[in-house]
Amino acid sequence: MTAKRWWLVVLLAIVPAGLVAQQQNYQSQMTERGLPAGLVAQVDAIAADATAQGLPAGPLVDKAIEGWAKHVPEPRIVTALNQFQVRLRAAQQALIRTGHGDPAGLVIAGAAEAMAQGIGETQLGNIVDAAQTPAAAGHGLRVAAALVAQGIGADDASAIVVQWMHRGSTDAQLLDLPSLANQYRGQGTPPSQIGQRLMQGGGSMAGAGVSPGMGSRPPGVPPGNPDQTGSGQSRTRRP
Amino acid sequence: MSIRDRWSADAHRYLDGTPHGDLDPEERREADLVLEAVEAWTEGLEPPTKALDDAVMARIRARAPRPADHGWRWLIRPQPIRMRPVWVPLAAAAALAFWLVAKPGPEPEQSIPVASASATADTVFVHFHLVAPDARVVALTGTFNGWAADAYQMAREDGGIWSITLPLPVGEYQYQFVINGERWIPDPRSQARVDDGFGGTNSVVVVGPRGVVQS
Amino acid sequence: MELSDGMVVQRVLDGEIELFRVLVERYRAKFGRHAVALVGDRDAAADAMQEAFIRAYDSLDRCREPDRFGSWFFRILTNQCHDTRSRLRPHADIAEVDPPSGDSPDDDADRRELGLMINAALDELTAEQREAFVLKHVDGRSYEEMADLTGVGVDALKMRVHRARDTLREKLGARL
Repeated sequence: MTAKRWWLVVLLAIVPAGLVAQQQNYQSQMTERGLPAGLVAQVDAIAADATAQGLPAGPLVDKAIEGWAKHVPEPRIVTALNQFQVRLRAAQQALIRTGHGDPAGLVIAGAAEAMAQGIGETQLGNIVDAAQTPAAAGHGLRVAAALVAQGIGADDASAIVVQWMHRGSTDAQLLDLPSLANQYRGQGTPPSQIGQRLMQGGGSMAGAGVSPGMGSRPPGVPPGNPDQTGSGQSRTRRP
Repeated sequence: MSIRDRWSADAHRYLDGTPHGDLDPEERREADLVLEAVEAWTEGLEPPTKALDDAVMARIRARAPRPADHGWRWLIRPQPIRMRPVWVPLAAAAALAFWLVAKPGPEPEQSIPVASASATADTVFVHFHLVAPDARVVALTGTFNGWAADAYQMAREDGGIWSITLPLPVGEYQYQFVINGERWIPDPRSQARVDDGFGGTNSVVVVGPRGVVQS
Repeated sequence: MELSDGMVVQRVLDGEIELFRVLVERYRAKFGRHAVALVGDRDAAADAMQEAFIRAYDSLDRCREPDRFGSWFFRILTNQCHDTRSRLRPHADIAEVDPPSGDSPDDDADRRELGLMINAALDELTAEQREAFVLKHVDGRSYEEMADLTGVGVDALKMRVHRARDTLREKLGARL
């Protein structure tokens, strides 16, 4: 066992309460979604094992719930979870190798998704380096993965994300990238040039072809509604 | 039967499954029999099935006054959603249907506009649709609703187009459509797909603050 | 992204009535067996549960703590189950239930008989004792969990469970 592992064990001994609470939270989540007790126990064991290794357990539990909702047979669900855990471990190792010693769960999850789309270790490292926070790193990794899924090369996708981060894009702005890419494709831009345009775009939707008056707001909704709180507000009449 | 006509305190602890002192053998035997009987009883209890869910929902639908589409009414009520400035196009683009357009429903008879506590500053309306003229029901399911198979029923329009508009916080989601409650498919209109790990594929939608453009 | 009870309640009240199904699925899974144990009959229990969900839907805007929908619904459900049981089962004579014939209760038939005996003995309990007994022995909840769900204190719950067991012992009398 490495020195790092020993610290994890000591840490787990000192702060079991929070983890126990989390375990029970996973259990009740799964039970509420109708997963049978036997499967809950198996998933719980996998989740506990993942947590002990510093891997995020949430995605594993979510995946089990997804499998159950899709009527996947129990053994298949367990197999899929084990495979998922292997991918998470591989992502964790890749992040460690690029100098990010104790990656947060959501960064590991994002890295696993990125690696599944063919983004390489060096590029993973670049994205995480460029991110200001773990949340930004998580978003950046997922956005890069989404861009690759849309046909942009892995190197280009990573470079675009890194550049947007360097230009000070917020986490939320990064999330606009895939839509932008779709926009350009819809306008007939050849796939090879979409990457370039995104690189140049750098945070602007100018020329993206959004008509005035067509916002996120559906017709009939007054703009700029301030928060309405306090008494005097009653509930809508029951449908 | 043992002399007591009530269980001892230790027997109660034993029946609770918690640490206990000694029981006299007769009492222990009786306690074990009761536990056995209770176990036999609970094993025979068959809980209600999913048919219950359908029955409940059918009665609820029968109660609701019918706007043309479910859920539209709340979408046309004011919501505290922060709007980004809309960018002026430099060129007239071809009609790309992107921003979510909620189909306006009939005015509800009496509704008092309220701020929706669940809408946050970075919530965006996302529109999904599927062409499926032969389907009886189509539902949307994904990571935004814990993959509940029929929570988001879609509305059918002319031409066999099924649609729904959801308010979603910015972020990344995976989803599928469920046709007639049994056929799960990714979104044919979306290029972004991932392996779901069970032999199928999920569609991916990345929701940014400016909305979603589907491919 | 799992929808919390509070979020679902809010959205149903806002008009997304189809979302109510999330609560139906969730709490059928959680309380289904409890309802069957309490009512003593599977079909009648399903009816009681259906009725309880409709009542919950009809008075959803009176659920004061939407995030604790479960406890609120539990009350509605158990009331419905108690009503259903009392309509269903006139005072059953426990003598009508045959005692197990074999010496060892390992036989399947004998186990079933044992189970029926418990069910009949439950008629001898008050509604509160029955509910506490089911929470303990069917749902396997700790007293703390039971207190959280019912709003009744742990000591009161213990007393109800103990009394239920004493009554059971009395009624099963010669069988033991």
